[in-house]
Amino acid sequence: MNILGTDYRRDLGIRHYPLLIYALTPLAALVLQALLPHLLRGYAWFDLPLVVTVYFALVRRDPIQGTLMGAGLGIFEDALTHHAIGANGIAKTVAGFLAGSVGGRIDVENHTIRLTITFLLSLLSGAIYVFIYRILLGLDLQWSWLAELAKAVGTTLIAMVLYPLLDRTEIRD
Amino acid sequence: MESLFTRYRNLLVLLAILLAQIIGLAVQVHRTDSGRNSVDPQDVAGVRLIRLWADEAVTPPERFFHASEQGAVDLWQNYLDLRGVRDQNRDLQKTIDRLRLEQASLLEDARQGQRLQSLMDFQQKYVYKTLAAQAIGSSGSDSSRVFYIDKGADYKLERDMAVITPDGIVGKVREVFPHSAQVLAINDQTSGAGVILETTRIRGILRGNAAGRPQIVGILPDQRIQPGERVITAGGDQIFPRGLPVGVVLGVAPDPDRDSFIDVIVKPAAHLDRLDEVLVITSTEPRFPADQQQDMATSEALKGAEADAIKEQQKASEIMAERLPGLTEPHPPSTTPASGQAPGKAQPGRDQAAPAAEPQVPKLLHPQHPDRFTPGATSLPSQNEKAQTPASIKTKPAPKSVAKPGPPASPSPAHSGGNPQP
Repeated sequence: MNILGTDYRRDLGIRHYPLLIYALTPLAALVLQALLPHLLRGYAWFDLPLVVTVYFALVRRDPIQGTLMGAGLGIFEDALTHHAIGANGIAKTVAGFLAGSVGGRIDVENHTIRLTITFLLSLLSGAIYVFIYRILLGLDLQWSWLAELAKAVGTTLIAMVLYPLLDRTEIRD
Repeated sequence: MESLFTRYRNLLVLLAILLAQIIGLAVQVHRTDSGRNSVDPQDVAGVRLIRLWADEAVTPPERFFHASEQGAVDLWQNYLDLRGVRDQNRDLQKTIDRLRLEQASLLEDARQGQRLQSLMDFQQKYVYKTLAAQAIGSSGSDSSRVFYIDKGADYKLERDMAVITPDGIVGKVREVFPHSAQVLAINDQTSGAGVILETTRIRGILRGNAAGRPQIVGILPDQRIQPGERVITAGGDQIFPRGLPVGVVLGVAPDPDRDSFIDVIVKPAAHLDRLDEVLVITSTEPRFPADQQQDMATSEALKGAEADAIKEQQKASEIMAERLPGLTEPHPPSTTPASGQAPGKAQPGRDQAAPAAEPQVPKLLHPQHPDRFTPGATSLPSQNEKAQTPASIKTKPAPKSVAKPGPPASPSPAHSGGNPQP
């Protein structure tokens, strides 16, 4: 199946969702990201805002929208921590941009491809975050690849459940 | 120009947003005197505004969820699941009574410590007032060990107030919002609490590592540091009062950053991953709080009542001992402790010679406080007593100044068994 060809891409349409979904899904992701680790006794090996960012960037096939959504959600996430605001924002900005750019070139209906992109972007987002914090800002931050890998797996598992649910809210002609 | 912008529109937007965020980051980070970069502990106005918005957006749903959860739990615990409450209440009451007595016994030590501290111009700060708060949310990131509580500026919370549980310390208030506050836990990498090992008295700074485990950093290797040793707050950080439990030593690991130093891994006393209700220390004073003073007064009263009861018992037993005729030995054996033998033990040689001597007859011991019932007492009984104890009148009066009483007038057979009085 030709999933990268221009003709195939032209045939694909841009998805549309109700305004409420655009507004509530990111907010719900942020609230749950803050609430679930508290309920799960400290386990925060997932990134719900990244799942939402990647999803909407992929299905909307718009890098600018992905960039803006990633920046907004990342800054919001940073604001809930005690770290400097912007590190997560930059990481998710890049992730949203890449997802939006890739979305115009691949078959976003394919569930496996979407999950693979989510997994890779989660790893990339973690790497950018660590790079900014340790290299760019020169701040002390201990981290481990294993934790980042576990976080990417957790994010992908959540995406596996969330993407089909969000697909159902699409406005169809 | 327009076509250039249209062509690279996506990239330009990306760069603009990245640049804005990098500038924003640069504003928040400054270089310390030690040459290392650090995030400003006090947020600038813009950053604080963003944090406030984020808090205002997230806290209401969290509060609603927590209230719903709490309501369901309360409904179950307060109305449906009340089995065994009476027994539990009884046990708790016993525990309170026991603790009150323990507190009273420790009170003297505390007062002595206070006196010594006042002599040394050192004032111990006591937890004077606390505010209970519910943990309602987290940062959502495992690299930022902060959580949110449902009390904020509306309850006069301030930055750097200590947050504890009855088990041990939890963290400190980092940011205060109108209706909530952000608490930095002790297992965060940027936290810092002055602690001391209880037995070895080694001091250090407690902070978290990447895995969220608190550790005392920058300690010189010491063989005395053993797993299981208790760690308490040192009181030097002006945040946590002295002597609060922190945890126990789990083990020792070499410091990854500095050779010849070690990190002491600590198991926190408070359950940092299961925080529901915490206490914010809103005030510390160099004296005990009013409720503690009231508790201590109750404890002292209880202890006094118990001491009175014990005294009464002792007095009654003494009276009984005095009233019962005792056995005395007018000619005690010449063996003394100075001869290298206990007075109660007979020497073998003497044991052999004893049958040849006068047979040992148990004698009545001299009572410490002779009264009218004592054989040889001088006081005359009243008319009523005359009727009750006519035999005592016939006893021969003995002079008061005589330490050694005369032989008993009529020793009863029961006393001839030789039971010595204590």
